[in-house]
Amino acid sequence: MLSNMESMAMAQNPDDPRQAIAAADLASHRLATGLRLPRGFHPALAVAVALQIATAAYGIAAQTLTGLAVALAGVAVFLGVAAIALHRFRQVNGVRVDGLTSQVVMGTGPLVTGVYVCAFGAATWAAFESQWWLVVAAAATGGAGYAMGARQWWRAYQQDPTAHADGVSPRMLALLAALACVGLVVLLVNG
Amino acid sequence: MARLDPLIHAPARLQVVTTLSAVSEAEFLTLRTALDVSDSVLSKHISALADAGYVRSRKSVRAGRRTTWIALTPAGRQALREHVAALRELIADVD
Repeated sequence: MLSNMESMAMAQNPDDPRQAIAAADLASHRLATGLRLPRGFHPALAVAVALQIATAAYGIAAQTLTGLAVALAGVAVFLGVAAIALHRFRQVNGVRVDGLTSQVVMGTGPLVTGVYVCAFGAATWAAFESQWWLVVAAAATGGAGYAMGARQWWRAYQQDPTAHADGVSPRMLALLAALACVGLVVLLVNG
Repeated sequence: MARLDPLIHAPARLQVVTTLSAVSEAEFLTLRTALDVSDSVLSKHISALADAGYVRSRKSVRAGRRTTWIALTPAGRQALREHVAALRELIADVD
């Protein structure tokens, strides 16, 4: 017995362009809509980002070695959570989507960028003013906005996977991480 | 005017390439399931596309078993874009 694709391929006339495009789009949508985010993906991302914002705000305001260590620990936790989430996504679905990596690690997209920058600014200001409840509130807002942006991107991806699949590759991500480390070392040496 | 690409003109081949364009990389098994096709049929399509430089594959190990990951190359994405553009031009001409 022939499989769906084999029988569809035989039934389709390759010279009917409308049918060819429709069948190809259907195949890519079937894959995209079948993909699942790992359980707890958005809450974990929200908490990790909130923690990163809060620790960075504290570190900047403290301007001590301990503050720097706390800020770096926040970054490490965020990167760890992001790496685990993306690894689990690959394991669960058997695919890699660089657009998702960009969204999760780099926070690309207008909503994510806007909310993150505002939350980071508010948290840092609050930390300088020692308004710790405000630091927590701003960090939580930033984390929630980041996760909401990721959810929004995911919906857009499932509607039009080809347009959203591209993003920063793991190799480019490693390069950016290396550059960030070099920048941090330069800051520490000069500081 | 965009040109039809004979290598991806067959509906089954076009489905393989379009499905790969929805992700950055896919496991052979995932692709086979999504397309609902046999191992041998998919292997033949992948080999032909790889020979043309439209896809690349790499071996990996997952949970102790060997797996193959397949990705569309930039040349493959370009070929798909041009082929789909040519198909759309044909549709527009008919309409």
